[in-house]
Amino acid sequence: MRDSAARAPWLFAAPLLLVMAAGFVWPLLQALINSFHPNTPQGIDAGQWTLGNYARLFDSFYGGVLVRTLRISIMVTAISALLAYPVALFLARLPPRAQSLVILAYVSPWLVNTVVKALGWTLLLRTNGVVNTVLRGLDVIASPLKLMLNEAGVVIALIPGHFIFVLLPLWAAVSGLDPALTWAAGTLGARPSAIFWRVVLPLTLPAFVAGLVINFIMNMTAFAIPMFLGGQRNLVASMLAYQVNLISLDWPLGGALAVMLLALTLILVWAGQRAASFLTAGRGLRP
Amino acid sequence: MSLEIVDLVKVFGAVRAVDGVSLSVAGGEFFTLLGPSGCGKTTLLRLIAGIYQASNGSVRLNGRDLTAAPMHTRNLAMVFQSFALFPHLSVFDNVAFGLRTRRVPREEIRQRVKEALALVKLDALSERFPAQLSGGQQQRVALARALVVRPDLLLFDEPLSNLDARLRDEMRFEIRDLQRRIGITTVLVTHDIEEAFVMSDRMAVMQAGKIMQIGRADEIYRSPASRFVANFVGPINELALTRVETIDGRRRGIAAGELTVWLPQAGAGAGRGSASLVLRPEALRVAAGDVGTENRFPAEIVDVVYLGGSSECRVKVGNLRLSAVMPSSAAARFRPGEPVSVGWDANDGVMLDAG
Repeated sequence: MRDSAARAPWLFAAPLLLVMAAGFVWPLLQALINSFHPNTPQGIDAGQWTLGNYARLFDSFYGGVLVRTLRISIMVTAISALLAYPVALFLARLPPRAQSLVILAYVSPWLVNTVVKALGWTLLLRTNGVVNTVLRGLDVIASPLKLMLNEAGVVIALIPGHFIFVLLPLWAAVSGLDPALTWAAGTLGARPSAIFWRVVLPLTLPAFVAGLVINFIMNMTAFAIPMFLGGQRNLVASMLAYQVNLISLDWPLGGALAVMLLALTLILVWAGQRAASFLTAGRGLRP
Repeated sequence: MSLEIVDLVKVFGAVRAVDGVSLSVAGGEFFTLLGPSGCGKTTLLRLIAGIYQASNGSVRLNGRDLTAAPMHTRNLAMVFQSFALFPHLSVFDNVAFGLRTRRVPREEIRQRVKEALALVKLDALSERFPAQLSGGQQQRVALARALVVRPDLLLFDEPLSNLDARLRDEMRFEIRDLQRRIGITTVLVTHDIEEAFVMSDRMAVMQAGKIMQIGRADEIYRSPASRFVANFVGPINELALTRVETIDGRRRGIAAGELTVWLPQAGAGAGRGSASLVLRPEALRVAAGDVGTENRFPAEIVDVVYLGGSSECRVKVGNLRLSAVMPSSAAARFRPGEPVSVGWDANDGVMLDAG
């Protein structure tokens, strides 16, 4: 009995694990192996080993794409981080029905296909788009703002879509806080700002960081929005990976790119979590 | 530090949760707000604490008007039902919280936290986190955290209802003793009559946002001002009264339509509409022979229920059923169906308007 009880969770997880192994782990390993072989006009030369693919990633073109991808992703995550607490705290104070309506509004972009969504953004942000037309109509600006085919356009369009990943966990954490904790702090003499910094923030920080991590990963791997709003002159890593793997058919370089993207993402996620645990070190947040 | 509340009102939507409450608590007094759930007692406490803003009326602490003051400026402390300890802070940091917000120097914080923890006998656990403490220990930390800031007023919101029965009994006396030793003005909210009786100097019984009666435990128990209060603070026998008349300066009436009874001297209902006679179970005497009380009637034992130290005797007088409580040793000799006599002295009854 005990043996089968111990095996049961694995049995339940087995179908998913098999799918993940076949569809994700195996191709990733293949990409990792490919990345160390040279590419030749005849195909991958599996007899030779090289670091040349990785070296190419540090030239000004490929390196520039990776730096741009990081810059856009960090920008979107940083702005989402600034917006997160004000929105989550506001939301948690609304009546329950209003809360579900607002959450529905935030989730609704995900009901739309990403390509359609990206095209929608171009209607809003292009030179003769809705935003420029309205601003010029109101005489706020004289000449149209350049809101797309640049990095700003990608950032503008990514923030609303990916904000939900920061908002949802934080909203759950904030509304799960016992209100008596804030009352206890208040009666003990803490001003509203002190209640936030000394009680609300430390207790919801794990949820906040988890949301930022997911948000950052989504930014690093975004495809449709950078393609339509950044364009070919503002390539990001996902678009580059597409071109290298499926257009140039240079799988070794594509493998190196994938491994590099994964490594960069993991390093930044790890650094973010370290920073968060440093902020709350020794404060009982971890068992 | 005396607390003065005048005509306090709190409206939530269409509900008047606190509906014109006035009361005053003397310096050093232990005052309890007692009532069933939903009677507005917790709302009243939160108005005093500044968690809610009053819709009308005023709260004064030692002459200082607090009605509109933000809670962090009120210099009071509150112990919550859930204890509300900060889970991310150690016991020491929890207790130090109110001192740090007051910018007390570091060395003084260390000293005062140590003293406060010693006061609640927790000095050994200052490095622990709340999740590592038992319920009773968490309660003590909450108490230390409240006392360490030397508040003008100490508020308790059902502080013992999350503890198990044995510990609750212990903490009642411990909190009361501590409060008397320090001499801090205290307001406690509870629905537990025993808790209110054990701990408080005076109490207010509340119903539907209003205060029904204010007084010491014995006043409220022995001279309830209304049927609600009489019923709420303990079991009663209630007999409808008719034809109340005065004979040679003594009042007499017909109880429950069949018994001619002598009535207490004081009390409501004289000469006005309908009244009822309220008798506490322990005011009733039951005896095999003559009970020797002013009012006495032949009766029959229906049932004897053993409750430990005391027993409840249920008797039948004609069609009327009465419940009497007596020491178990006295109740042991009665058997169901046995003819007895039951009675009470006129002044042990309470006459109330039957509203």
